[in-house]
Amino acid sequence: MRLLPLALTLLVAIVLGLGTTLFMVTHSRGLDVVEAGPWRGWPRSGTVKADPYARAAVARSGELPLELADGLLFLAATDDTGQPIDGRCETRIIGVLPQARLWTLTVMDEDGRFIPNDAERYGLTSAEALYKADGKLDVRLAPRARPGNWLPTGARGRLKVALRLYDAPFSFASGAGDAATVLPHIVQEACP
Amino acid sequence: MSLFDTFTVRVPRPRAVKRRLGGWFGRQMARVNWLWPAGLLLPAAMALVLAGIAHIVSILAMPALAENNAFARLSEIVGSNDMKLLPDPTPNDAVLPMQDPAFISAVCLYDLNDKPLKVRVPATANYTSVSFYTDEGLAFYALSDQAAGKVIELDLMNADQKAALPEDEEITAADRLVIESPSEEGIVLVRAHVPDRGMREVVRRQLEAATCTSAN
Repeated sequence: MRLLPLALTLLVAIVLGLGTTLFMVTHSRGLDVVEAGPWRGWPRSGTVKADPYARAAVARSGELPLELADGLLFLAATDDTGQPIDGRCETRIIGVLPQARLWTLTVMDEDGRFIPNDAERYGLTSAEALYKADGKLDVRLAPRARPGNWLPTGARGRLKVALRLYDAPFSFASGAGDAATVLPHIVQEACP
Repeated sequence: MSLFDTFTVRVPRPRAVKRRLGGWFGRQMARVNWLWPAGLLLPAAMALVLAGIAHIVSILAMPALAENNAFARLSEIVGSNDMKLLPDPTPNDAVLPMQDPAFISAVCLYDLNDKPLKVRVPATANYTSVSFYTDEGLAFYALSDQAAGKVIELDLMNADQKAALPEDEEITAADRLVIESPSEEGIVLVRAHVPDRGMREVVRRQLEAATCTSAN
Protein backbone atom coordinates (compact mmCIF):
# COMPACT_ATOMS: atom_id res chain seq x y z
CA MET A 1 0.00 0.00 0.00
CA ARG A 2 1.19 3.48 -0.77
CA LEU A 3 2.34 5.78 1.97
CA LEU A 4 -0.34 8.45 2.07
CA PRO A 5 -3.40 6.16 1.93
CA LEU A 6 -1.74 4.08 4.62
CA ALA A 7 -1.25 7.12 6.84
CA LEU A 8 -4.85 8.17 6.23
CA THR A 9 -6.09 4.69 7.09
CA LEU A 10 -4.08 4.70 10.33
CA LEU A 11 -5.36 8.17 11.24
CA VAL A 12 -8.98 7.16 10.65
CA ALA A 13 -8.44 3.99 12.70
CA ILE A 14 -6.92 5.84 15.66
CA VAL A 15 -9.55 8.60 15.68
CA LEU A 16 -12.34 6.03 15.42
CA GLY A 17 -10.88 3.69 18.06
CA LEU A 18 -10.01 6.32 20.65
CA GLY A 19 -13.22 8.25 19.89
CA THR A 20 -15.37 5.24 20.73
CA THR A 21 -13.27 4.69 23.87
CA LEU A 22 -13.87 8.28 25.00
CA PHE A 23 -17.57 7.94 24.24
CA MET A 24 -17.86 4.69 26.19
CA VAL A 25 -16.03 5.88 29.32
CA THR A 26 -18.06 9.10 29.46
CA HIS A 27 -21.47 7.68 28.54
CA SER A 28 -21.39 4.14 29.90
CA ARG A 29 -20.81 2.74 33.36
CA GLY A 30 -20.28 -0.79 32.14
CA LEU A 31 -21.95 -3.34 29.90
CA ASP A 32 -23.71 -5.18 32.67
CA VAL A 33 -26.78 -2.90 32.85
CA VAL A 34 -29.95 -3.73 34.72
CA GLU A 35 -32.88 -1.65 33.49
CA ALA A 36 -36.06 -0.96 35.42
CA GLY A 37 -38.25 1.66 33.77
CA PRO A 38 -36.11 4.82 33.69
CA TRP A 39 -33.64 3.40 36.25
CA ARG A 40 -30.28 1.87 35.33
CA GLY A 41 -28.16 -0.22 37.68
CA TRP A 42 -24.73 -1.81 37.28
CA PRO A 43 -24.57 -4.53 39.94
CA ARG A 44 -21.32 -6.15 38.78
CA SER A 45 -19.35 -2.89 38.57
CA GLY A 46 -19.06 -3.05 42.37
CA THR A 47 -17.44 -6.50 42.33
CA VAL A 48 -14.24 -8.11 41.08
CA LYS A 49 -16.32 -9.32 38.13
CA ALA A 50 -16.60 -5.74 36.80
CA ASP A 51 -16.25 -5.70 33.00
CA PRO A 52 -13.45 -3.73 31.26
CA TYR A 53 -15.81 -0.86 30.39
CA ALA A 54 -16.91 -0.49 34.02
CA ARG A 55 -13.26 -0.55 35.17
CA ALA A 56 -12.27 2.04 32.56
CA ALA A 57 -15.19 4.34 33.42
CA VAL A 58 -14.41 4.16 37.15
CA ALA A 59 -10.70 4.84 36.60
CA ARG A 60 -11.45 7.87 34.44
CA SER A 61 -14.11 9.43 36.68
CA GLY A 62 -12.28 8.76 39.95
CA GLU A 63 -15.39 7.31 41.51
CA LEU A 64 -15.33 4.51 44.07
CA PRO A 65 -18.33 2.41 43.02
CA LEU A 66 -20.59 0.98 45.69
CA GLU A 67 -19.42 -2.53 46.54
CA LEU A 68 -22.36 -4.85 45.84
CA ALA A 69 -22.27 -6.33 49.35
CA ASP A 70 -22.64 -2.76 50.66
CA GLY A 71 -25.34 -1.41 48.39
CA LEU A 72 -26.60 -0.91 44.87
CA LEU A 73 -26.86 2.30 42.86
CA PHE A 74 -29.60 3.07 40.35
CA LEU A 75 -29.44 6.19 38.17
CA ALA A 76 -32.26 7.85 36.26
CA ALA A 77 -31.91 10.74 33.83
CA THR A 78 -35.34 10.46 32.24
CA ASP A 79 -38.94 10.00 33.35
CA ASP A 80 -41.09 6.94 32.57
CA THR A 81 -41.82 8.21 29.06
CA GLY A 82 -38.14 8.76 28.22
CA GLN A 83 -38.21 12.57 28.50
CA PRO A 84 -35.11 14.03 30.22
CA ILE A 85 -35.83 15.09 33.82
CA ASP A 86 -36.28 18.87 33.71
CA GLY A 87 -35.63 20.78 36.93
CA ARG A 88 -38.10 23.49 35.92
CA CYS A 89 -40.96 20.95 36.03
CA GLU A 90 -42.44 19.27 39.04
CA THR A 91 -41.12 15.73 38.92
CA ARG A 92 -42.71 13.08 41.11
CA ILE A 93 -41.08 9.83 42.12
CA ILE A 94 -43.92 7.57 43.16
CA GLY A 95 -44.10 3.96 44.16
CA VAL A 96 -42.75 1.23 46.36
CA LEU A 97 -39.07 0.63 46.99
CA PRO A 98 -37.43 -2.80 47.20
CA GLN A 99 -36.57 -4.26 50.58
CA ALA A 100 -33.41 -2.68 51.94
CA ARG A 101 -32.00 -1.74 55.32
CA LEU A 102 -31.97 1.86 54.18
CA TRP A 103 -32.16 3.85 50.98
CA THR A 104 -31.11 7.32 49.88
CA LEU A 105 -32.31 9.44 46.96
CA THR A 106 -29.98 12.17 45.64
CA VAL A 107 -30.62 14.86 43.02
CA MET A 108 -27.70 15.94 40.84
CA ASP A 109 -27.13 18.05 37.76
CA GLU A 110 -26.00 16.52 34.45
CA ASP A 111 -22.37 16.40 35.59
CA GLY A 112 -23.19 14.66 38.86
CA ARG A 113 -22.86 17.72 41.13
CA PHE A 114 -25.40 18.42 43.85
CA ILE A 115 -27.92 21.23 43.34
CA PRO A 116 -26.87 24.18 45.54
CA ASN A 117 -29.55 25.34 47.98
CA ASP A 118 -29.62 27.21 51.28
CA ALA A 119 -30.85 24.25 53.31
CA GLU A 120 -28.01 22.04 51.94
CA ARG A 121 -30.72 19.57 51.03
CA TYR A 122 -29.20 17.35 48.36
CA GLY A 123 -31.23 14.23 48.93
CA LEU A 124 -33.67 12.25 50.99
CA THR A 125 -33.08 9.18 53.15
CA SER A 126 -35.41 6.40 54.24
CA ALA A 127 -35.23 7.78 57.79
CA GLU A 128 -36.52 11.21 56.76
CA ALA A 129 -39.11 10.20 54.15
CA LEU A 130 -42.83 10.48 54.74
CA TYR A 131 -44.91 7.61 53.39
CA LYS A 132 -48.51 7.71 52.23
CA ALA A 133 -51.24 5.71 53.98
CA ASP A 134 -50.86 2.86 51.47
CA GLY A 135 -47.14 2.65 52.20
CA LYS A 136 -46.10 4.25 48.92
CA LEU A 137 -43.47 6.89 48.57
CA ASP A 138 -44.20 10.21 46.82
CA VAL A 139 -41.17 12.47 46.37
CA ARG A 140 -41.47 15.79 44.55
CA LEU A 141 -38.54 17.41 42.78
CA ALA A 142 -39.44 21.04 42.15
CA PRO A 143 -37.74 24.43 41.94
CA ARG A 144 -39.88 25.78 44.81
CA ALA A 145 -40.74 24.25 48.19
CA ARG A 146 -43.56 21.69 48.27
CA PRO A 147 -45.27 20.04 51.22
CA GLY A 148 -44.17 16.47 51.99
CA ASN A 149 -41.01 14.94 50.50
CA TRP A 150 -39.57 17.86 48.56
CA LEU A 151 -36.14 18.07 46.92
CA PRO A 152 -34.97 21.34 45.34
CA THR A 153 -33.98 21.30 41.66
CA GLY A 154 -32.59 24.82 41.35
CA ALA A 155 -34.61 25.05 38.09
CA ARG A 156 -31.76 23.25 36.25
CA GLY A 157 -32.55 22.13 32.73
CA ARG A 158 -31.41 18.54 33.12
CA LEU A 159 -31.22 16.46 36.26
CA LYS A 160 -30.02 13.02 37.30
CA VAL A 161 -31.46 11.11 40.23
CA ALA A 162 -29.49 8.50 42.17
CA LEU A 163 -31.27 5.85 44.22
CA ARG A 164 -29.01 3.83 46.52
CA LEU A 165 -30.27 0.73 48.28
CA TYR A 166 -28.07 -0.41 51.15
CA ASP A 167 -27.87 -3.92 52.51
CA ALA A 168 -30.53 -5.00 50.06
CA PRO A 169 -31.17 -8.74 49.90
CA PHE A 170 -31.04 -9.08 46.11
CA SER A 171 -29.51 -11.90 44.26
CA PHE A 172 -28.06 -10.92 40.91
CA ALA A 173 -26.91 -14.38 40.07
CA SER A 174 -30.03 -14.89 37.97
CA GLY A 175 -30.46 -11.33 36.75
CA ALA A 176 -32.22 -8.52 38.57
CA GLY A 177 -35.69 -9.12 37.20
CA ASP A 178 -37.31 -9.25 40.64
CA ALA A 179 -35.63 -6.16 41.98
CA ALA A 180 -36.32 -4.32 38.76
CA THR A 181 -40.07 -4.56 38.88
CA VAL A 182 -40.43 -2.67 42.14
CA LEU A 183 -38.51 0.54 41.49
CA PRO A 184 -40.68 3.69 41.66
CA HIS A 185 -42.12 5.55 38.67
CA ILE A 186 -40.87 8.97 37.59
CA VAL A 187 -43.57 11.31 36.27
CA GLN A 188 -43.15 14.93 35.21
CA GLU A 189 -45.96 17.43 35.74
CA ALA A 190 -46.51 21.16 35.42
CA CYS A 191 -43.69 21.93 33.03
CA PRO A 192 -43.43 25.64 32.23
CA MET B 1 -15.70 -6.61 -25.89
CA SER B 2 -16.24 -9.40 -23.50
CA LEU B 3 -19.17 -9.92 -21.16
CA PHE B 4 -16.89 -9.06 -18.24
CA ASP B 5 -16.18 -5.61 -19.64
CA THR B 6 -19.84 -4.67 -19.79
CA PHE B 7 -20.09 -5.12 -16.01
CA THR B 8 -16.93 -3.21 -15.22
CA VAL B 9 -17.30 0.48 -14.72
CA ARG B 10 -14.17 2.25 -15.83
CA VAL B 11 -13.65 5.38 -13.86
CA PRO B 12 -10.98 7.72 -15.18
CA ARG B 13 -8.28 8.58 -12.67
CA PRO B 14 -8.93 12.05 -11.30
CA ARG B 15 -6.01 13.80 -12.94
CA ALA B 16 -7.66 17.11 -12.13
CA VAL B 17 -6.78 16.48 -8.47
CA LYS B 18 -3.17 15.90 -9.41
CA ARG B 19 -3.01 19.09 -11.40
CA ARG B 20 -4.62 21.18 -8.68
CA LEU B 21 -2.58 19.91 -5.76
CA GLY B 22 0.66 19.35 -7.59
CA GLY B 23 3.86 17.98 -6.08
CA TRP B 24 4.24 14.82 -4.03
CA PHE B 25 0.88 15.07 -2.23
CA GLY B 26 -1.01 15.48 -5.48
CA ARG B 27 0.77 12.54 -7.06
CA GLN B 28 -0.02 10.36 -4.06
CA MET B 29 -3.68 11.36 -4.04
CA ALA B 30 -4.00 10.82 -7.77
CA ARG B 31 -2.78 7.24 -7.42
CA VAL B 32 -5.85 6.36 -5.36
CA ASN B 33 -8.92 5.63 -7.35
CA TRP B 34 -11.31 7.48 -5.07
CA LEU B 35 -14.49 6.85 -7.06
CA TRP B 36 -13.99 3.12 -7.36
CA PRO B 37 -15.51 1.55 -4.19
CA ALA B 38 -13.46 -1.62 -4.44
CA GLY B 39 -10.35 0.47 -4.06
CA LEU B 40 -11.64 1.85 -0.77
CA LEU B 41 -12.85 -1.48 0.55
CA LEU B 42 -9.45 -2.67 1.70
CA PRO B 43 -8.43 0.59 3.45
CA ALA B 44 -11.89 0.81 5.07
CA ALA B 45 -11.70 -2.76 6.35
CA MET B 46 -8.17 -2.16 7.63
CA ALA B 47 -9.26 1.05 9.36
CA LEU B 48 -12.13 -0.76 11.08
CA VAL B 49 -9.95 -3.62 12.31
CA LEU B 50 -7.25 -1.23 13.56
CA ALA B 51 -9.91 1.00 15.17
CA GLY B 52 -11.24 -2.04 17.00
CA ILE B 53 -7.75 -2.91 18.23
CA ALA B 54 -7.09 0.71 19.34
CA HIS B 55 -10.45 0.73 21.16
CA ILE B 56 -9.87 -2.54 23.02
CA VAL B 57 -6.28 -1.69 23.96
CA SER B 58 -7.22 1.79 25.23
CA ILE B 59 -10.17 0.47 27.27
CA LEU B 60 -8.00 -2.24 28.87
CA ALA B 61 -5.15 0.21 29.52
CA MET B 62 -7.39 2.90 31.01
CA PRO B 63 -7.34 1.66 34.66
CA ALA B 64 -3.52 1.55 34.66
CA LEU B 65 -3.06 4.85 32.83
CA ALA B 66 -5.82 7.04 34.35
CA GLU B 67 -4.06 9.80 36.27
CA ASN B 68 -7.05 11.23 38.10
CA ASN B 69 -8.49 8.05 39.58
CA ALA B 70 -9.73 7.73 43.15
CA PHE B 71 -6.32 6.65 44.51
CA ALA B 72 -4.58 9.68 42.97
CA ARG B 73 -7.28 12.07 44.22
CA LEU B 74 -7.11 10.67 47.74
CA SER B 75 -3.29 10.64 47.79
CA GLU B 76 -3.43 14.42 47.84
CA ILE B 77 -5.15 14.50 51.23
CA VAL B 78 -4.26 11.23 52.97
CA GLY B 79 -0.90 9.65 53.71
CA SER B 80 -0.09 5.95 53.45
CA ASN B 81 -1.57 3.57 56.07
CA ASP B 82 -3.45 6.37 57.80
CA MET B 83 -7.21 6.83 58.26
CA LYS B 84 -8.67 10.24 57.56
CA LEU B 85 -12.21 11.65 57.43
CA LEU B 86 -13.23 13.07 54.07
CA PRO B 87 -14.77 16.55 53.95
CA ASP B 88 -18.51 16.49 53.26
CA PRO B 89 -19.22 16.76 49.52
CA THR B 90 -20.77 20.07 48.47
CA PRO B 91 -22.09 21.24 45.05
CA ASN B 92 -18.77 22.95 44.25
CA ASP B 93 -16.30 20.67 45.92
CA ALA B 94 -16.08 16.91 46.24
CA VAL B 95 -12.93 14.81 46.66
CA LEU B 96 -14.56 11.92 44.79
CA PRO B 97 -17.47 12.05 42.35
CA MET B 98 -20.81 10.37 43.10
CA GLN B 99 -20.55 10.37 46.88
CA ASP B 100 -23.74 9.82 48.86
CA PRO B 101 -24.45 13.02 50.85
CA ALA B 102 -26.24 10.99 53.54
CA PHE B 103 -22.97 9.40 54.64
CA ILE B 104 -19.80 10.42 56.45
CA SER B 105 -16.76 8.80 54.83
CA ALA B 106 -13.25 8.07 56.00
CA VAL B 107 -10.49 6.62 53.84
CA CYS B 108 -7.21 4.82 54.39
CA LEU B 109 -4.71 4.31 51.57
CA TYR B 110 -2.84 1.12 52.29
CA ASP B 111 0.49 -0.23 51.21
CA LEU B 112 1.08 -3.90 52.04
CA ASN B 113 4.69 -4.06 50.81
CA ASP B 114 6.15 -4.03 54.33
CA LYS B 115 3.48 -5.34 56.63
CA PRO B 116 -0.21 -6.35 56.65
CA LEU B 117 -2.82 -3.75 57.57
CA LYS B 118 -5.05 -3.83 60.63
CA VAL B 119 -8.39 -2.04 60.22
CA ARG B 120 -10.50 -1.25 63.26
CA VAL B 121 -13.83 0.53 62.88
CA PRO B 122 -16.23 0.98 65.79
CA ALA B 123 -19.76 0.77 64.38
CA THR B 124 -21.84 3.92 64.81
CA ALA B 125 -25.47 3.74 65.93
CA ASN B 126 -26.42 3.66 62.24
CA TYR B 127 -25.43 1.72 59.14
CA THR B 128 -21.64 1.50 58.99
CA SER B 129 -19.68 -0.29 56.28
CA VAL B 130 -16.09 -0.93 55.28
CA SER B 131 -15.28 -1.44 51.58
CA PHE B 132 -11.96 -2.35 49.99
CA TYR B 133 -10.71 -1.21 46.57
CA THR B 134 -7.52 -1.81 44.62
CA ASP B 135 -5.45 1.22 43.58
CA GLU B 136 -7.27 1.03 40.22
CA GLY B 137 -10.64 1.46 41.93
CA LEU B 138 -11.82 -2.15 41.67
CA ALA B 139 -14.06 -3.13 44.60
CA PHE B 140 -13.03 -6.49 46.05
CA TYR B 141 -14.61 -6.77 49.48
CA ALA B 142 -17.15 -5.08 51.72
CA LEU B 143 -18.55 -5.70 55.15
CA SER B 144 -21.28 -3.92 57.11
CA ASP B 145 -21.81 -3.62 60.84
CA GLN B 146 -24.68 -6.10 60.65
CA ALA B 147 -22.30 -8.81 59.53
CA ALA B 148 -19.47 -7.84 61.87
CA GLY B 149 -20.96 -6.61 65.14
CA LYS B 150 -20.04 -3.65 67.33
CA VAL B 151 -16.46 -3.30 66.23
CA ILE B 152 -15.39 -4.20 62.70
CA GLU B 153 -11.86 -5.64 62.92
CA LEU B 154 -10.07 -6.90 59.85
CA ASP B 155 -6.58 -7.93 58.77
CA LEU B 156 -5.73 -7.07 55.20
CA MET B 157 -2.87 -9.01 53.62
CA ASN B 158 -1.34 -9.77 50.27
CA ALA B 159 -1.17 -13.35 49.07
CA ASP B 160 2.33 -14.02 50.52
CA GLN B 161 1.49 -12.63 53.95
CA LYS B 162 -1.69 -14.69 54.09
CA ALA B 163 0.16 -17.85 53.07
CA ALA B 164 2.73 -17.19 55.81
CA LEU B 165 0.08 -17.14 58.56
CA PRO B 166 0.76 -19.90 61.11
CA GLU B 167 -1.81 -22.63 60.85
CA ASP B 168 -2.27 -22.60 64.58
CA GLU B 169 -5.76 -23.41 65.73
CA GLU B 170 -5.63 -20.98 68.62
CA ILE B 171 -4.86 -18.08 66.33
CA THR B 172 -7.48 -18.96 63.76
CA ALA B 173 -9.98 -19.38 66.55
CA ALA B 174 -9.22 -15.87 67.82
CA ASP B 175 -11.84 -14.41 65.53
CA ARG B 176 -9.42 -12.84 63.11
CA LEU B 177 -11.07 -11.89 59.88
CA VAL B 178 -8.34 -12.04 57.23
CA ILE B 179 -8.90 -10.53 53.81
CA GLU B 180 -6.58 -11.01 50.89
CA SER B 181 -5.90 -7.96 48.74
CA PRO B 182 -5.32 -8.59 45.01
CA SER B 183 -3.04 -5.52 44.87
CA GLU B 184 -0.20 -4.24 47.07
CA GLU B 185 -1.77 -0.79 47.29
CA GLY B 186 -5.39 0.19 47.59
CA ILE B 187 -8.13 2.05 49.40
CA VAL B 188 -10.18 1.23 52.49
CA LEU B 189 -13.41 3.24 52.48
CA VAL B 190 -15.35 3.50 55.76
CA ARG B 191 -18.85 4.95 55.55
CA ALA B 192 -21.38 5.73 58.24
CA HIS B 193 -24.96 6.71 57.52
CA VAL B 194 -26.35 10.00 58.86
CA PRO B 195 -30.14 9.61 59.07
CA ASP B 196 -30.77 13.33 59.48
CA ARG B 197 -28.64 16.42 59.11
CA GLY B 198 -28.59 17.22 62.84
CA MET B 199 -26.61 14.01 63.48
CA ARG B 200 -23.65 14.86 61.25
CA GLU B 201 -21.33 16.06 64.00
CA VAL B 202 -22.13 13.11 66.27
CA VAL B 203 -21.47 10.53 63.55
CA ARG B 204 -18.33 12.40 62.47
CA ARG B 205 -16.89 12.18 66.00
CA GLN B 206 -17.75 8.48 66.22
CA LEU B 207 -16.02 7.76 62.93
CA GLU B 208 -12.88 9.59 64.07
CA ALA B 209 -12.16 6.52 66.20
CA ALA B 210 -11.68 4.37 63.08
CA THR B 211 -8.04 3.40 62.52
CA CYS B 212 -5.85 1.56 60.08
CA THR B 213 -2.31 0.63 61.06
CA SER B 214 0.52 -1.22 59.44
CA ALA B 215 1.38 -4.08 61.83
CA ASN B 216 1.84 -7.82 62.04
